[in-house]
Amino acid sequence: MQQAASRPLMRKPKRNRTEFWMLLPSIVVLAAISIFPFFFMVYASFMDYSLDMDRPRFAGFGNWADTLTDTAFWQSWGRTLVYAGGGLLAQLVLGCAIALLLYHIPRFRNLFSTLFMLPLFVAPIVTGLLWRFLLDPTYGLYHWVLNTFGLDIQVLGDPSYAMFAVIMMDVWEWTPLITIIVLAGLQTVPEEPLEAADVDGANSWQKIRYILLPMVRRMIVVALLVRSMDILRYVDTIVITTEGGPADATKTIGYYLMQVAFRFQDIGGAASVGLTMLLASILMGRFFIKVLRSEEA
Amino acid sequence: MQHRQKLLHAVLYALMTLSLLWALVPILHMILSSMKTQVNMFEMPPRLFFTPTFDVYEEMFFGRGDFPQFLRNSLVVSVVTTALCLLLGVMGGFGLARGNFRWEKDVSFWVISTRMAPIPAVILPLYLIFSKLNLIGTTTGLVLAYTTFNLPFALWMMSTFFKDVPADLEEAAMIDGCSKFRAFWRVVVPAAAPGIVATAVLCLMFSWNDYLFASIFTGRGTQTVPIAASLLVSQSGIKWGQAMATGTVIIMPMLICGLLVRKYMVRGLSMGAVK
Amino acid sequence: MNRSWVTKLIVLAIASVLVLSACSSGGNKPGSGSNSGSSQNATNVNGNNSGDSGQSGNAGNAGNTGGQPSGAADSSDPFGGWVEGLPKIEAPEGFDWKQFEGVTLNVITENTPPSSGLAANIEVFEQATGIKVNIEQVNLDIVVEKAGLDFNARNSNYQIIYADPYQILSKQAKHFVDLNTLNNDPTLPSIPGGLEDFIQSQLLVGGYMGDKEHLYALPYDNPTMVLAYRKDVFEKYKDLFMQEKGYDWTPGPDMTWDQYYEVALWINEKAKAGVISEVKYGTGHQAKQHDSLMNDFSNVLAAYGGDYFEAENLGDIGTENPGKSLLTSPEAIEAAEFYNELLKIAAPGSTTWDWNGLAEAFAAGEIAMIPEWHEFAGMFENPELSKVAGKVGWTILPKGPKGRGNMYGGTSIGINKYASDKEIKAAWLFLIWATAPQTQYMILDAGFTPTRYSVYQLPYIQKAMNDPESQEAKEWPLASSLIAAQEAWKEGNVYMRPKIPMWPQIDTIIYTELSKMLAGRQSPADTMKEIAKQSDRLTGN
Repeated sequence: MQQAASRPLMRKPKRNRTEFWMLLPSIVVLAAISIFPFFFMVYASFMDYSLDMDRPRFAGFGNWADTLTDTAFWQSWGRTLVYAGGGLLAQLVLGCAIALLLYHIPRFRNLFSTLFMLPLFVAPIVTGLLWRFLLDPTYGLYHWVLNTFGLDIQVLGDPSYAMFAVIMMDVWEWTPLITIIVLAGLQTVPEEPLEAADVDGANSWQKIRYILLPMVRRMIVVALLVRSMDILRYVDTIVITTEGGPADATKTIGYYLMQVAFRFQDIGGAASVGLTMLLASILMGRFFIKVLRSEEA
Repeated sequence: MQHRQKLLHAVLYALMTLSLLWALVPILHMILSSMKTQVNMFEMPPRLFFTPTFDVYEEMFFGRGDFPQFLRNSLVVSVVTTALCLLLGVMGGFGLARGNFRWEKDVSFWVISTRMAPIPAVILPLYLIFSKLNLIGTTTGLVLAYTTFNLPFALWMMSTFFKDVPADLEEAAMIDGCSKFRAFWRVVVPAAAPGIVATAVLCLMFSWNDYLFASIFTGRGTQTVPIAASLLVSQSGIKWGQAMATGTVIIMPMLICGLLVRKYMVRGLSMGAVK
Repeated sequence: MNRSWVTKLIVLAIASVLVLSACSSGGNKPGSGSNSGSSQNATNVNGNNSGDSGQSGNAGNAGNTGGQPSGAADSSDPFGGWVEGLPKIEAPEGFDWKQFEGVTLNVITENTPPSSGLAANIEVFEQATGIKVNIEQVNLDIVVEKAGLDFNARNSNYQIIYADPYQILSKQAKHFVDLNTLNNDPTLPSIPGGLEDFIQSQLLVGGYMGDKEHLYALPYDNPTMVLAYRKDVFEKYKDLFMQEKGYDWTPGPDMTWDQYYEVALWINEKAKAGVISEVKYGTGHQAKQHDSLMNDFSNVLAAYGGDYFEAENLGDIGTENPGKSLLTSPEAIEAAEFYNELLKIAAPGSTTWDWNGLAEAFAAGEIAMIPEWHEFAGMFENPELSKVAGKVGWTILPKGPKGRGNMYGGTSIGINKYASDKEIKAAWLFLIWATAPQTQYMILDAGFTPTRYSVYQLPYIQKAMNDPESQEAKEWPLASSLIAAQEAWKEGNVYMRPKIPMWPQIDTIIYTELSKMLAGRQSPADTMKEIAKQSDRLTGN
């Protein structure tokens, strides 16, 4: 009586009871800690609620109107598009490129890839401090390097360069994650297609483009999904380096939210901003998952 | 052809070295600076050869400070939350992957969406809950807070990995007389071990690196290392020596951990790519 | 399938935890107070925060080298350390200092010199009263957030709270205990020296909100912006400057902002030409998009006769509604235009610096003059941290056409209303001790500036402040900036920012728009108008 997992209809009630009970504890815990905050956010977004108030007052769409008509809000989203889009793109391209590089290196691959993993383990807040240390005009190593190349710019003090710097910090820290994942995928690509391609006379570029990359698409999407969630939420580096400046140049939506929630202590406003961020994440997530599932088919 | 190969390899190595420099120069600078006095640290170009001083480390670990306590707190909290989330996530992931539930896709998505909520917006409701349960300033409270982002991650990752482990494995074991649950622990889990390890390392990393939750939910005796790092920026100056030393120390446990399990991490992450 | 990696991991984890426990118990030397509430966390290099702001390595604190401490505690001096000339901590007849033994108090504060100093000496208090005190130091944003959350939950997780006048007291005064009831309670000790002993302007700002009836907190620290300058540079090139410009350029109370600008420009030119080698730039500022920018600008704003709002008592006891924004006045616009010009000739790193970055640049010897917080004197005189030790002079900031402003940034500590009655009384004992003149004297080496008149009268302090060559001055580097600070606290010199509930938002608007101005994105006049517009919308005017 072999029952393959792909024939659910006849066996479903009996088959998945164990699975159900195995799943239940997780769901219960998860629901317990995430349902209340979510509904609270929705509730708060309709209330005039600030941390020093005794009682929140009903505000209808007040918060939403304030948030959605605040030009700073939209500008922050615009910057976030640059920050997240630019960052993710850079990480993806660099991550894949370096993975391919590692893949083609005959020796010391393990050593190189282990070393390359290091930035991943530096906590974002320390990354911020470190980059501040590197870019400070008085004692920054990178500032000095730029100077010797004739570039007399204040990276963190110049609106044009600050965004670039902040994206660079994120890319520096998280590219290794993409590299490791893609490299792992590359290493499990079976030999046959590659050998067949050799027989057909394909060169390296063609092999990369038509065989290797498509086979690791699924892992790339997993990495992208995880990173896309976090890139909106992590603002530690921005807080420690530019505080959203100069001239608001690095005020992404994550930083904007921190300001509303922590500095202004406007719970209602923070809830409305938070919900837009959640929405954006969900949309991105759905998009990536769709790509992921189309791979499974 | 040989020449071309060699040339190509040389170029590849050069590019690789460049990438490594990009990744490692900041870290090297940090480690070296942690062994210099502040005045020397600021010297440009930086001296590569100098007599190192470990005063900062000595002060941090043996002096009048709480850094060992911070380190201990970080370790304890990260390990406990990872263990908890792994336990729940491994079981739950299996359930999700094998259960053939009609609602599987939606639940899967709901699970991962709980990790998407931006922290500043949910701090207050979480604070209210924890406050009622007297968990503010406790390690337990922080573990629970970290569970909010580690559990969905573990659950989702494990369900993805388990989908790639063929069902024949547990079915074969069941034919031999095991219950499904036992079959799961004896056969399936070992088969997915690399994936479990990979998820564990990432959960450890996320917990270890957190600053926001830690700053709000910890108290006097339960503060973690990222908080120690943030305290170095004070009203009267930034203690760069200690900042660099903190950074060096902060990567060590994770580095050791990552090195130890790197082989498994690579295998584990690649499991998802195996068809 | 090998399980050895699991074992490896577990062994490693256990080993690390064991090693670190061993380490930390090695670090808990008896009497170092690190168990009992000492928050001397990794941030303090020499355990008494003197790594950067006081003398380093000086084991004895200033209290031992000056005055005649009465040493051990006795009934007339429950805490020990009383010094001749200071008001005593007194309690009513038959008061038992140990009556609250066993109570635990949690203090949340920013990591400032007094917090570190108190934490280092907390055993004094704990032994005398049997009350356990946990001092938690975090960044100011987190203090504000945690205090807010605590009040909101009516929790009293923290009984004693660092009441930043502009971010906490202005909004949440009603959650603090009215200290007058405790001070006037005949069964409890009262403030040694009375309220009159506090520097009055600081008491107004730090203690009251909206009215003078209720006292919410006691002054605790008082950093103030003054002018730091390189004595050596001004000495060496004095004659050259006199020749070219015709006046004595030594910074002092008579200097005007226009002269400041001229001096800075001259130094820039001469440095570029290679004539001056000791510094690179004439002036530097803390002009990052940060609270520091608002502070720096306010000095100029006040000097030109401008102000932020029209309401009365804005800067001292504060008010709920500040009225309309005054930034569209011609004085304010003139101030903004001057500030914009000044920053154009400032050290280019100014827009990346908050007060820390600026101090570091000055300590590295790059800049000749900076408006900076006086507490950095400790850092500047520390040869381990600064190249300009012994070369720094301090004076009040220049004056403008309509006056002068030296930004004040002090804070006070208060008691959470939602604590239990017993906790509140225990907290009161802590407040008495923490702000007592003898305690302030004791923690001088933490880089602390006293908030009490009586402390300043002590011979040791007088000597340190007035005689830079004295032993006392060398032991207490902060003394060098204190004369300037004291001058800065006088009425007409000091500038207090508006103390209103919506200040965090207004502050953010101010420094964001100013940052845009400095980046060349908008003109000074437009900047002022924009700030006024947003601020009026916020305050409903």
